[in-house]
Amino acid sequence: MSASDEPLRILSVCGVGMGSSLMLRMNVEEVLKRLGVRARVEATDVSSARSMQADVIVGQGLHTGELQGLAPVVVTITNFMDKDALQRQLEEALHEQGWL
Amino acid sequence: MELVEGVLEFLANNIFGEVAILIGIITLVGLILQRTPVEETVAGTLRAVIGVLILFIGVDVFTEGLSSFQAIVSSAVGLEPPQADNTLGDFLGTHGGSVALVIALGFLVHLILVRLFNTRYVYLTGHLLFWIAVVTVASIVEIFGDLGQWTIVGAASLVVAAYWTLQPLVLAPMMRKVTGSDDFGFAHTSALAAYLGGKIGGKAGSYEQHDTEGVRLPQRLSFFKDVNVSTALVIGVIILVAMVFAEVDVAQEQAAAYDEDLNRWVWGLIAGLRFAAGIAILLYGVRMFLAEIVPAFKGISEKVIPGSRPALDAPAVFPFAPTAVMLGFISATAVFLVLMGVFAAIGWFVLVPPMIMLFFPGAAAGVFGNAFGGWRGAVIGGGINGLFLAFGQAISWGYLSDTAPELATLADPDWYLIMVLVMGIGALGALLGEMGVWLVPVVLLVVFVVWTMMAKRVGAEPEAEPLSGDSPFDAPDVSRAVRRDGHGDGAQDDDQGDERSER
Repeated sequence: MSASDEPLRILSVCGVGMGSSLMLRMNVEEVLKRLGVRARVEATDVSSARSMQADVIVGQGLHTGELQGLAPVVVTITNFMDKDALQRQLEEALHEQGWL
Repeated sequence: MELVEGVLEFLANNIFGEVAILIGIITLVGLILQRTPVEETVAGTLRAVIGVLILFIGVDVFTEGLSSFQAIVSSAVGLEPPQADNTLGDFLGTHGGSVALVIALGFLVHLILVRLFNTRYVYLTGHLLFWIAVVTVASIVEIFGDLGQWTIVGAASLVVAAYWTLQPLVLAPMMRKVTGSDDFGFAHTSALAAYLGGKIGGKAGSYEQHDTEGVRLPQRLSFFKDVNVSTALVIGVIILVAMVFAEVDVAQEQAAAYDEDLNRWVWGLIAGLRFAAGIAILLYGVRMFLAEIVPAFKGISEKVIPGSRPALDAPAVFPFAPTAVMLGFISATAVFLVLMGVFAAIGWFVLVPPMIMLFFPGAAAGVFGNAFGGWRGAVIGGGINGLFLAFGQAISWGYLSDTAPELATLADPDWYLIMVLVMGIGALGALLGEMGVWLVPVVLLVVFVVWTMMAKRVGAEPEAEPLSGDSPFDAPDVSRAVRRDGHGDGAQDDDQGDERSER
């Protein structure tokens, strides 16, 4: 990935891909806007996530354990509404990859 | 005049009767209200409509799988398969338009109630906005038959709004103990099991002495968290075992209907997997239209009710006690499977294990149970969910047979509560004739107002220490240091533009 004009491809993941991952998607979008990062964020379930190419996967520990390695960056969150923590985690990870 | 009538009839048949078109219109309005760029608005609307159509296809595949399962297992235990006069697919075909209108109108009434009574929590679990609307409309139609569409929509919208507003409020004091903060509310139809799990679990043990995080579960159970896998496995194994005992004719007939040349054992395997595939398709369709609608609903609620807090789907509480999640799920499944055997043995009903509903509500009840009663509470919470799902399915199937009996196998505990309330009060109201349908929302709104007043008088319970949790499966947990304080009112989120940096 990473011609710098391509938006990042991000997956927010939960068990079924309907409820909490959608909330997570909206929070990720909001946080990335603050960080000035262009990205396409998609909410999906654990099964589908395996077959989808992504730069970043965000989800809770219940799922990210088995999603390690499917994307360069896998972020594990604890509190779905803690946008500040999410921002710190994403900022750090994107810096590490040189995407920010 | 004839022209006007013609136009109205066209609208009734082709717009308000067609769930796909209506969802498209609702999405379009939502995206326009959010000032989404034109190309995204068009794309989003199309995705939503396609999502609804995919949902219908999923329902068909799922229903086929369901009836195969019921036919084989019934034959194996010597019972008649559960009978039904209608299907979920047909019901959505005839009443789907009402369902779509109930989602939109019900959500507006919900926002008005939150604002008027200052209850703060906005219900944002999208798929339950959909399913609660389906269950409520089906329950009303079961009792009253085909009232005019607007009567059904009006009464059902008030019912769903009362539920969406009251449920997060009832759980709020317990949520503070579970999450250790008041950042978000709980919006999931497992509330009844979670509530009882917390209350009864608290009597059986204590969080301090019996916290689930002291319990280690075998790593190998972790694949059960993938609901596609667990559904396929459990349903597939039960079908194959049942085929040993089922009459050969029944299995042969089912297999031939699928493919003349197929061996019936291979068919059994495929039938189990098709059941799981149908659910996966159904969920994919729902996800597709929710992804377009829910952000609009969230945007509107933030504008209309400043300082409101989101009430979120069940998994939002899972990170607070991951081991309790698995304990609750396992306990719910065990109780359900035992009851499946018992119900078959006494010749009452052939149950279908609903793995998704055993997982999510079981897990949520486990987390609530753990917060008050440690691992004992988690096991009790999950078990309560298993009880609700088993008895709920067996009892409600018949009551839904004229509308959408499959709902009995897709339901969470609160769905059964809503069916009981709507059909129970509705049956009384029906004595007054068609107008009696309004008795249902009136009673529920009175309950809502009384509960809200009482909750206000009692006041907020003191905040508790958050539970902390590692994954039971030794997944790396990189976020223990999450800060949980000082951002409750959600108003300061936009002031950080100066931190922006270029990619």
